[in-house]
Amino acid sequence: MAHSRLDDRLDSGVSPYSAKLSARLPQPPRRTPRVSLIVILPENHVVSADSLAERLPTNHDDEVDVIVACAGQPIDLTSIQRAARRAQFLVAPAGTSSEDLRELAMRRAPGDIVTLVTGALRHVMPSAELELLKTS
Amino acid sequence: MPAPLALSIVVPTHNSALTLAEVLTAILATDLPRECFELIVVDDVSADASPTIAARYADTVVRLNGVHCGAGYSRNRGVELARGEVVAFVDADVLLAPDTLSRMLSTLHCDPSLDAVSATHGESPGVRGFVSRYWNLLLQFGEQHHREGRAHFTSACGAVRRSVFLSSGMYDEWRFATGCLDGVELGQRLHATGHRMALRNDLTISRLKQWNVRSVLTEVWRRSEFLARSLGYQRTRAEAPGEVVFTLSDALIPALAILCVVAVSAAFVTPPIWWAKVAIVVGIVVLTNLRVHRFFARARGAGFAIAAAPLHLLAQVVSIVGLCAGWVLRDAVGDRVPDAKTQAYSEVGLEMWPPVPRRP
Repeated sequence: MAHSRLDDRLDSGVSPYSAKLSARLPQPPRRTPRVSLIVILPENHVVSADSLAERLPTNHDDEVDVIVACAGQPIDLTSIQRAARRAQFLVAPAGTSSEDLRELAMRRAPGDIVTLVTGALRHVMPSAELELLKTS
Repeated sequence: MPAPLALSIVVPTHNSALTLAEVLTAILATDLPRECFELIVVDDVSADASPTIAARYADTVVRLNGVHCGAGYSRNRGVELARGEVVAFVDADVLLAPDTLSRMLSTLHCDPSLDAVSATHGESPGVRGFVSRYWNLLLQFGEQHHREGRAHFTSACGAVRRSVFLSSGMYDEWRFATGCLDGVELGQRLHATGHRMALRNDLTISRLKQWNVRSVLTEVWRRSEFLARSLGYQRTRAEAPGEVVFTLSDALIPALAILCVVAVSAAFVTPPIWWAKVAIVVGIVVLTNLRVHRFFARARGAGFAIAAAPLHLLAQVVSIVGLCAGWVLRDAVGDRVPDAKTQAYSEVGLEMWPPVPRRP
């Protein structure tokens, strides 16, 4: 499957020693759940800073792990970075499906509660309209 | 603050990787607009890929770690995050029709005095194996022949107003942490506090879970024991007569009574030949279960009904023994309680994640 190959490539950065060590160490009990927010951006999808801010606690973006999973080169990253300063970016090859991005990001998300938000389709202007705009 | 939604769908999972994708795909194929509902999957310490499969479809995935605490506990964690005015519970092996959720929602909207609505078990064309078909038909029989149940809430697929669910104390995660029948218990509690619920026979669900003889008998044992020990046989029979334990035990109790009379009478007459004895026993058992066997024959054919008779008899015997065990345990040990560690944590009021099971 395409996403498993992609996964292998992305997972290659994790040291096997550190993975084994973290698996062996007992997890200390937490009082509150760890929260992760996954933003899914398939090709030609964008997410507004407002919709992102809606999901994040105000001025406490460090309490939520934000992971942005994009297919191909993401568009308008500044709004995401503005809303969540410590966002992690996962860049998958262009054409990766939304479901595969979700699965990929889920494997990386450390949270006990993981919220997944898919971006909205960016309005792409047809080339004919673009030409018309340029000439007018 | 995000606006409240019409519906939150909570799916508890535990090692459900085989069926989860199909179940979640069916939920997302609902005829409700996507912006009207949210999908929350709560994974209860699965050892398989359930959380990652859930992430492909869900809006929120909750990963519980530590000890497996049961579906009721998972559903409660899901409702704590839910934003919908109505919460629907769908089990990880339940296949919905595209209009099931919208019809449940419209039932609650059309009748404001109704607080909960459940679907019933229907044909499960996807299920394979003789035992799975038998179990699904048995569940179907009880629910379809006892519509008068005043407190029957099906956890496998049921919707309840969130405010009512929260005010009633949610699922009993204290006594039913590792058990079943939590929906029947919730239904009893809702009924006791004056809330109305409906079991709709025109809303049917299919189960995908595969059963074998051992798992069916274990399930029968657990249900029977829990029912006798924690819920009360007579009370539950009056309030939720569609429960599978009553389908099994109702027929066997008169059969045993008749057999006792026959055995006593036989002492005063010339001993009949062995095949006559067998014929009398089989005849009594079949006659007392005639309604169930006719239902099986109508659904799957006479051959299936005949083949299911020995398994049905075995399940009935296990149910009766389970009920007796439940009564003995209730009188000798008392009601079900969680382990000592959970009780101690709860007593101290320890704040931790995942939370310690609470009393309703």
